[in-house]
Amino acid sequence: MEFAWTAEQDAYRQKLKTTIEELLPDNWTTDIAPHSYGSKEQIEYSRTFCAQLAERGLLVQQWPSEYGGGDGDPWQQWILAEEMMLAGEPRGPQYMNVNWIGPALMAHGTPEQKAEHLARIASGKVVWCQGFSEPGGGSDLAGMKTKAERQEDGSYLINGSKIWTSYSPFADYCFLLARTGEQKKAISIFLIPMSLKGIEVHTFPGLVGKGHLNQVYFTDVVVPESMRMGEEGQAWPIITYALRFERVSVARFHIGRKVLDRCVAQLQAEGRFSDTAVRVRAGRIAALLEAGRLLSYYVIDQRVKQGSDDVNGNIARVSVSAATMELQAFIMDYVPDALTGGDYVINEFFRANLSSTIAAGAYEVQLNLIAHGALNLPRS
Amino acid sequence: MDFDLTDDQQTLVSSLQSMFAPYGEIPEEGRGAKSYFAADLQRKLVNGGFFHTAREAGNLEAALLVLEAGRLPVTVEAGASALVAPNLMANPPEGPIALLSGDLKKAQRMLSVARHAIVDTGDDVVVIPIDPENVEPVETMLAAPFGRFRTPPDLSKGRRLGAEARPVLHQWSRVALAAECAGAAESAVPFTVEYVKLRKAFDQPIGSFQAVQHRLAQCWQIMRALRYNALHAAWTGDPVRADLAATYAQMHVQKLVFDLHQFHGAIGITTEYKLHYWTFRLRSLQPETGGADGAALAAADKLWGAAA
Repeated sequence: MEFAWTAEQDAYRQKLKTTIEELLPDNWTTDIAPHSYGSKEQIEYSRTFCAQLAERGLLVQQWPSEYGGGDGDPWQQWILAEEMMLAGEPRGPQYMNVNWIGPALMAHGTPEQKAEHLARIASGKVVWCQGFSEPGGGSDLAGMKTKAERQEDGSYLINGSKIWTSYSPFADYCFLLARTGEQKKAISIFLIPMSLKGIEVHTFPGLVGKGHLNQVYFTDVVVPESMRMGEEGQAWPIITYALRFERVSVARFHIGRKVLDRCVAQLQAEGRFSDTAVRVRAGRIAALLEAGRLLSYYVIDQRVKQGSDDVNGNIARVSVSAATMELQAFIMDYVPDALTGGDYVINEFFRANLSSTIAAGAYEVQLNLIAHGALNLPRS
Repeated sequence: MDFDLTDDQQTLVSSLQSMFAPYGEIPEEGRGAKSYFAADLQRKLVNGGFFHTAREAGNLEAALLVLEAGRLPVTVEAGASALVAPNLMANPPEGPIALLSGDLKKAQRMLSVARHAIVDTGDDVVVIPIDPENVEPVETMLAAPFGRFRTPPDLSKGRRLGAEARPVLHQWSRVALAAECAGAAESAVPFTVEYVKLRKAFDQPIGSFQAVQHRLAQCWQIMRALRYNALHAAWTGDPVRADLAATYAQMHVQKLVFDLHQFHGAIGITTEYKLHYWTFRLRSLQPETGGADGAALAAADKLWGAAA
């Protein structure tokens, strides 16, 4: 056991920092980043930024070289995630492509699907959304109602709707889950262009950033069989794989620490950080964030050694969620002006994390998975 | 970064676990006591040279020793001997060592079994021998031996380490308590998980109720964090990591102790049962070195500068 970064990892991190500094435009912090990474502004910019990253070999460094990567490892992916989060996630929604849509395609896609999508994702010019949650479905993913019915010609007719569906107004493709049988887990995955006839996106306002809250309607959408990924009705293992990566893919503790530092800097500037009670609270939150960091690093170590992670991903997620909630409370107690026109980085952190205990399996679902997966407690 | 133990680390842990195996139950003469200090095991650790681990193998390995000892229901003094003293001075005193601070008229942890004490006087660190005749044991529900000086010790005759030793003392005391908390949690949490699988209420194992599952899942997450916080703080030797590890450990003692006792019900507060040996050891560590708030404040000072 040892906790050091290697010289190569340090150099890679430094290279990323330098690159980000070089690439981000002067108006990044004024005109683009404050809109959130689901916004049209940031999504459109992501097509430029990610393409530039790709040209420098830094977008999919951890992918196998046969798919345009650099044969890196999950640590490189994670260092990339940390540095991008610190910069305000200029990859926009393309972090999803890199983290799990691409790897899921590599593992389960047909040669044609790989040929169609992987090079495009690796170029940094394509935006995906994920069609998982449904109205009334919540965390009960297996209870989805959107149907993909086989037609005589072998194609599918998709009807139903997905909700929340971040990035969908501007996405090129959707990683869509739809029911292809009556059994609870008879679900299939479709990789569909958002331009298909019968797809409509309705955006509605909300507390989270622009572009995150949408409902996508599928009305008699004809999808050829070639767009189905994996065997029909056999999507569950792929979904589980994808969700594992999604649960521990955003370095919330890392940006959380930056936000805590910004809160402290503001309090110091205003002469309010000499209060012992405030200092103690800040120290406690730093401890929670560091615990989340180590448990997340444990997961990355597992990915390096086993190719995937297990219930430890849920454990890390719960830990980071606990830290995030406490940091939100700290913000409201001591720097509430961040939410009323103050520091946009603090504001955006607060806003982005309104859903962090809901998305990718609610906090309570994570606890269920730990109870059964780690503690082996009996089901009721 | 590698979270798996190396072969050498695994060998150390295996040898410790072999040595500790007979102490997984409280010996007959100690049954029903609020705590049991295993003097013979303490001697084995001394004679086996285990308290040289920090010097010979490293602080992470010494923290593993403290953590493994913390898993036992019996008490041994490992933190001060394995981590604090070797990092404070070239010639550590013979243990058991009590770490003393504050009002020396009050009862102090480990004092009733200690041969030496390391005293934080507020402006210096002083090492003194302990005269057993000058210490009276103090009855307590906390699962650690406590003692009180009959007459205040003469610190002027002790070995002075200087004011510069205080931060080192605080750092390694915090790593040690974090490791001991991790060990105690690694026994108490799984012990409770197994209990709720067996104990039935309303014709069901209580571990099948979601209200119980969620809280134990949270305890499990805390337990995992305790381990890596402590070992990381030991490995880095970074004072702020020590503060953060202690903060995390001490701020979660309340949650752990409350939940683990809650799910045991009344049996958990009988001394014939084992739970309190771990939970009330956690309680005994909760206020050490300034407690969670003291550690958090120390972390804040280091991270963002001392208060103006």
